[in-house]
Amino acid sequence: MHSSKTLFGGLALAALSLHVQADDQALIERGKYLAAAADCVACHTVPGGEPFAGGVEFKLPFGSLYSPNITPDQQTGIGDWSDAEFLSALHEGVGKDGKRYYPAFPYTSYTLMPDDEVQAIKAYLFSLEPVSNTVPENTLSFPYNQRWGMFFWNLVFHNNERFEPDPSQSEAWNRGAYLVEGPGHCGECHTPRNFAQALSSSQPLAGNLVQGWQAYNISSDPAHGIGAWSPAELVSYLGKGYAPGKGVASGPMGDVVSHSLRHLSDDDLSAIATYLLTTEPQSEGVKRPDPVSASAEPVSDAGLGGQLFAGACAGCHSWDGSGTQSPVATLSGLKTVNDPAGTNLLNILLRGHTAPELRVDQQMPNFAKAYQDAELAAVGSFVLQHFGQTGASLSADDVAARRGNTGH
Amino acid sequence: MIQLSVNGTQHQLDVPDDMPLLWVVRDVLGLTGTKFGCGIAQCGACTVHLDGEAVRSCVLPVSAAAGRAVTTIEAVGQSALGAQVQQAWLDHEVVQCGYCQSGQIMSATALLQRQPAPSDAEIDAGMAGNLCRCATYTRIRAAIRDVDAGGAA
Repeated sequence: MHSSKTLFGGLALAALSLHVQADDQALIERGKYLAAAADCVACHTVPGGEPFAGGVEFKLPFGSLYSPNITPDQQTGIGDWSDAEFLSALHEGVGKDGKRYYPAFPYTSYTLMPDDEVQAIKAYLFSLEPVSNTVPENTLSFPYNQRWGMFFWNLVFHNNERFEPDPSQSEAWNRGAYLVEGPGHCGECHTPRNFAQALSSSQPLAGNLVQGWQAYNISSDPAHGIGAWSPAELVSYLGKGYAPGKGVASGPMGDVVSHSLRHLSDDDLSAIATYLLTTEPQSEGVKRPDPVSASAEPVSDAGLGGQLFAGACAGCHSWDGSGTQSPVATLSGLKTVNDPAGTNLLNILLRGHTAPELRVDQQMPNFAKAYQDAELAAVGSFVLQHFGQTGASLSADDVAARRGNTGH
Repeated sequence: MIQLSVNGTQHQLDVPDDMPLLWVVRDVLGLTGTKFGCGIAQCGACTVHLDGEAVRSCVLPVSAAAGRAVTTIEAVGQSALGAQVQQAWLDHEVVQCGYCQSGQIMSATALLQRQPAPSDAEIDAGMAGNLCRCATYTRIRAAIRDVDAGGAA
């Protein structure tokens, strides 16, 4: 009798513990998905470094910030943080011991996340192996190194409030609005910033220059934003990194697709598309080119730029910009060929498009070492003039300036 | 399984969707006339025809060729134009080491299909993605002009 009681008790405990474990596992899985949606790994991982171990440098006009280690290491990470402290960091921008964050950390977006989702992310982070990694000290100059000053910044620019669904809109729209404005923090790159480095409330998603790349206007404006894209094209771009004739995600946005968006469900990507197509149209920034009139015939009198295009580019991109081996190589219709500064165009020529998860027909080699500045300027100018309508041309100096400025 | 038409023959192939067509042609079908050069569509050695258009098979996933007609150097001579291009290549003794030449012939045939009487500048532009480290370019140009002179197209 005694032994069967013990056995029964033991089984009950085991069952309870299994149940708890299953609950924990579900919470961790949920947190993992949300951490992907929030793209935590992008800012908290140095290239080639341990995920979430921090140390990524953010260069600002007044010094550098370094992202912290958010693995559960007790000394150098967040292993000794309570739930309340983690919640305060994401909702209020105030970390352990009252340390106020700078808005490079997008707590002004994460604040929209409900408590349980924030705690799920914490559960996920705490399920990871602790990594001991002390990140460099920030190098901000006075007065920007005075963290307490963020108290006043927050008074003006931060609303500590959760996402409220709009009952007049569909469930998908609300889900999309939540993902875009909250965890996805799209506006942190795609919305211009004001004098105080806060997101401009009058020009949401109107585009911005970030880390040397054009984070294009993604409002619903058809000419300047994504209003002319179909929902399926948006889902393809977000989930796979390309929508032929509309956009290819490269540079920092390529990283966003790689780390974050491609891990989201199709339902969530559709929800994001639903919401983006209804945002306030903003007529700012680079305009989409008109559908290209470029001829499919080789151009034999286009000078150095045309010669280089013939030799190095036409084999994949075609003379009419339609993409020879793959529609992913479509140039016509891309904002990148209609930006008179050639910002992303030069970045891609110099960096290539080589993320390892990309299929062979979606990759592009980099031409930084193959050609001199004057040659890259010539081929860049040819592409702008052949496929875009701005008539802009690029100089060797433009290329030289870009060479030093294509990092993440 | 992928249904692939190569040189007029239908094949049922159990290969990954994203395998480059070049691998399928050379390693699976054993058609080794098409060469591997750079692997990033920068040299033209791997050029084949897809529905008559010149494409770089090293960066073309086999799934993108399914349901379309692939022609390789082994069969290009079966068309009147292709045969004339090959004859012009022999007449002008274009080939030196030969490694790039199957790609050159495929590109030249596609060019002549599109532009039956190309000028020198049009030949240069149309053939520009095909590199030849033996620098047979002048003979390539002469051979292409010769096909035009013969009135093949």
